[in-house]
Amino acid sequence: MTTYLLVFANSNLHRAAWQALLGSQPGISVAGAAGELAQIASFQLPSPAAILVDVPSVQAEWVREIRATLAHAGLLLLVDSYDLNETIDLLRAGATGLIVRDSSVGDLARGIIAASRGEIVLPQQLATKALVALARGEAGQEERSVSLTEREQEVLYLLAQGHTNKDIAQSLFLSVRTVEAHLRNIYGKLSVTSRTEAALWAVNRGYVLKDQAASLGDIT
Amino acid sequence: MLDKERTRIAVLGTLAEFHREPIPYDMSALLELVVDISPDLLCLDMTQEQWLSGLFTDLPPEYREALLPLAHQTDIVVVPIGGGHPPVKPEAGGWRGKAIEWLRGQIGSLQRAAPSPDAINQGWRHHAANWLYSATRRLAGIKASKAIRKHTDHLTEEALNVARRDPNARMLVVVNVQYCHIIRERLRAYKDMEVLSYTDL
Repeated sequence: MTTYLLVFANSNLHRAAWQALLGSQPGISVAGAAGELAQIASFQLPSPAAILVDVPSVQAEWVREIRATLAHAGLLLLVDSYDLNETIDLLRAGATGLIVRDSSVGDLARGIIAASRGEIVLPQQLATKALVALARGEAGQEERSVSLTEREQEVLYLLAQGHTNKDIAQSLFLSVRTVEAHLRNIYGKLSVTSRTEAALWAVNRGYVLKDQAASLGDIT
Repeated sequence: MLDKERTRIAVLGTLAEFHREPIPYDMSALLELVVDISPDLLCLDMTQEQWLSGLFTDLPPEYREALLPLAHQTDIVVVPIGGGHPPVKPEAGGWRGKAIEWLRGQIGSLQRAAPSPDAINQGWRHHAANWLYSATRRLAGIKASKAIRKHTDHLTEEALNVARRDPNARMLVVVNVQYCHIIRERLRAYKDMEVLSYTDL
C-alpha cells in the first residue's frame, strides 16, 4: 500500500530535498509540498496520508491548524531533540509523532508510513511516558470485565509500550495485517475507537512495566 | 480444503556474492523484485540469535545490503527461520575435489549468464543448476548431503510453523538458490500450503 506524503517546509530547498529523497523510498509517494499553512487546504490527499513538518520551531497552534485542515492525515514533526513536555503538548494539539533530525532515512520512512495509519511515532520509552501522561489527564473509565485472548493481551501490551503496528508485528513475527486484525478485535472488546484510546485504556490498567511506571513519577 | 484456507507461500533463490556483479539479477534487481512482491512475512536463512543481536556481518550480502534495510523501512516483517549456520560448501580431496571445483565453475557460468531472476529461479537453467549442486554434494560424500538435508529440513519446518501461526499472511522465503528447489518440493507435500511462484504471490 502506498502512503501519500505532503511535505511542509519553509524553504524551497528543503521542500525540494525532501521530495527528491522521500519520493524514491518504497511505499511512499510524495503528493506535494507546501511552504505556508494556507496552501495545505488545497491538497486532496488520498488515504493513507501523512504530512511531514520541517520547520525550525514547531508550534502547537500550527499543529492544530494543520490538523483542522487535513484531519485524516498523520502528522509527523521533525524536531532537534525530544522533550517530554513539548511532546505531550504537540500530541494533545494533534501531532501523530515526532522524529529527530539525525534519524536515518529508513527510520524516517518507517515513521511516515506508521504516522499515515495514525500510529504514535516516538522512541519507545518516550511514547510510554507520553501515554502515561496523557492517561493521567483522562477521566476514569468505567470498570468492566474484558476477556482478551493471550495474543490480544500481547498486542495490547506492546501497544501500551508505544510500539507502532510494524514494531508489534516484528516483535511477534506476525504480519502487520494480522496485528491490525487483532487491534480491531481489541477495540471492539474494549469499546474504544482508536489506538490511542486503547493504549490509554491499557496504561490505566497497568500494561506498563513496573520499572517504567516508577520512572514516571515526575511527569505532570 | 478450500484454497482460501491455504497459506500462500513462495520461495525465491538468491546468489550471494554474485548479486554484487554486473549481472541482470544484481542487488538492485533483487531489491526491486521484493519491493514489487511486498510480502507480509519475509523468511530468511538466519538464526533468531543473529536477528536479535542485530549483528549481520555473517549474513550474505543480499540480506545485509538489500533485504534487511528494505524490511526495516517498510511493513515487511522479517522472520528468521535458520537453525544454525548454513552448511559449508561441499569439498573433497583428489579428483573429487577437482570435479567439484569444475562443477562449481559451471554453476557460476550458468547463473552469471542468466538473463533474468526468473531464469535463476525456474526453467532449464534452474534445473541444470540443481542437478549440478546435487552432483557436487554426491562427490563430497554422505556428510555433505546430510548437512544440506538437515539444513533444508529445518528451514522448511520453521517456514511451516510461521505459516501456521499466521495463516493469512503472504510469505516469501528467500534463501540461497541451491536450497529453494528442495524447500519448494517439501512445502508442496503439505495440503495447507499453497506454494506459488514468487511472481504469483
